Amino acid sequence: MFEAPVQKLIDELARLPGIGQKSAQRIAFHLLHVEETDARRLAEAVVEMRERVRLCARCFNVTDSEECSICRDLRRDPSAICVVERAQDVVVVERTHEFRGRYHVLGGAISPIEGVGPEQLRLRELIARIEPEGVTEVIVATNPTVEGDTTALYLARSLKPLGLTVTRLASGLPVGGDLDYADELTLGRALSGRREM
Amino acid sequence: MALRHDQGIVLRGYPFGEADRVVVLLSPNHGKLRTVAKGVRKTKSRFGGRLEPFTHVDVVLYEGRNLDTVTQVSVIEAYPRLRGDLDKVLAAGTMVEVVDAVAQENEGSHRAFLLLQRGLSALETGPLHDDIVPAYLLKAAEVVGIAPALTACAACGSSDGLDRFSLSAGGVLCPQCRSGGAYALRSGLVGYLAGLVASDLSSLPPVDPVLSKDAAGLVRRFLEYHLDRLLASLAAMDV
Ligand SMILES: [Zn+2]
Ligand SMILES: [Zn+2]
Repeated sequence: MFEAPVQKLIDELARLPGIGQKSAQRIAFHLLHVEETDARRLAEAVVEMRERVRLCARCFNVTDSEECSICRDLRRDPSAICVVERAQDVVVVERTHEFRGRYHVLGGAISPIEGVGPEQLRLRELIARIEPEGVTEVIVATNPTVEGDTTALYLARSLKPLGLTVTRLASGLPVGGDLDYADELTLGRALSGRREM
Repeated sequence: MALRHDQGIVLRGYPFGEADRVVVLLSPNHGKLRTVAKGVRKTKSRFGGRLEPFTHVDVVLYEGRNLDTVTQVSVIEAYPRLRGDLDKVLAAGTMVEVVDAVAQENEGSHRAFLLLQRGLSALETGPLHDDIVPAYLLKAAEVVGIAPALTACAACGSSDGLDRFSLSAGGVLCPQCRSGGAYALRSGLVGYLAGLVASDLSSLPPVDPVLSKDAAGLVRRFLEYHLDRLLASLAAMDV
């Protein structure tokens, strides 16, 4: 056990994802030795983020106003929605500069084994956007896991009867990877999703 | 360095640390195995999708103090068609949940493993049968020794007038033994359930739409009662 204030910080840090006791100690002692202004800036950033950031009323991306910057951007195409599991995924898809539509953050994926069904996700909210926004295409960008696949299948079943085009990100070989590392399922999907050159 | 070979069907996984995943396998020889797959959440992981639920794999494990680490994986069966069909994936989810609930760690589980393997194969190869989940649940009950009495009164063994079903007594009851709380069964349901028990999962009898609904509800309640837990995979899709 360390002095109470130090131990308190270590305990808090150790609750963060991916940080164990050892890392928590290292970070705590690092913060003890840096300039006080640096430590204070970190604390303020945490507080400010929690005070100012909320979820976009339309797509549930993170934002500091009523709607996120993507939903407010008039140059974005409202007829296409890219559905992702988490807000972090919006940033990942944005970095490709390949998508000009809007997003919808589900807040997770269907996982029957964990008891997460469609009711626990923001599916109703997605369906409520279709008509008013004139959506014609939904691109499902859930993870290529059983949960992500199940969610994609469920979305296709719910949205296709509404006359929408529902597509899924092609899953295939990682760029820069070796073909002989690819597993059967990945390779099978890459084959069935092949394109003419 | 202690390396060993094993095989199993992936039941589930959960994130562990930065990029690792704990993968729970059902091995016929060793029951439930909790293993660590390092770096599996990275897109370029050499394990790729091999350690996703439902996959039957052959693994090389490096024995650790708490958890064994997966060092090699090869796929025995990936059930690709199952994974492309929503209803089949949901049925497979229930199959996995049930064996996960009944199998133990460090204890052989040949029968549970075979049951799961047959269930997944039936989903993979044939069209989806409406009764596959209740049939599977009945067989799972048999594996854990809680099979409901269907052909003789659960209390006295008589075979006359078996039209009530008691969760606590463990099956059908005759008019002499029935308690107030026992369910009144629709005519034909007992025989229908017995038909499911007697058939192979890949060749179940034709579906009776009315009895099929009753069978699903009754079997689910029976299992939830005796396992003393709700089946989350079924509850998640109740809308
Ligand atoms: Zn938004
Ligand atoms: Zn009796």
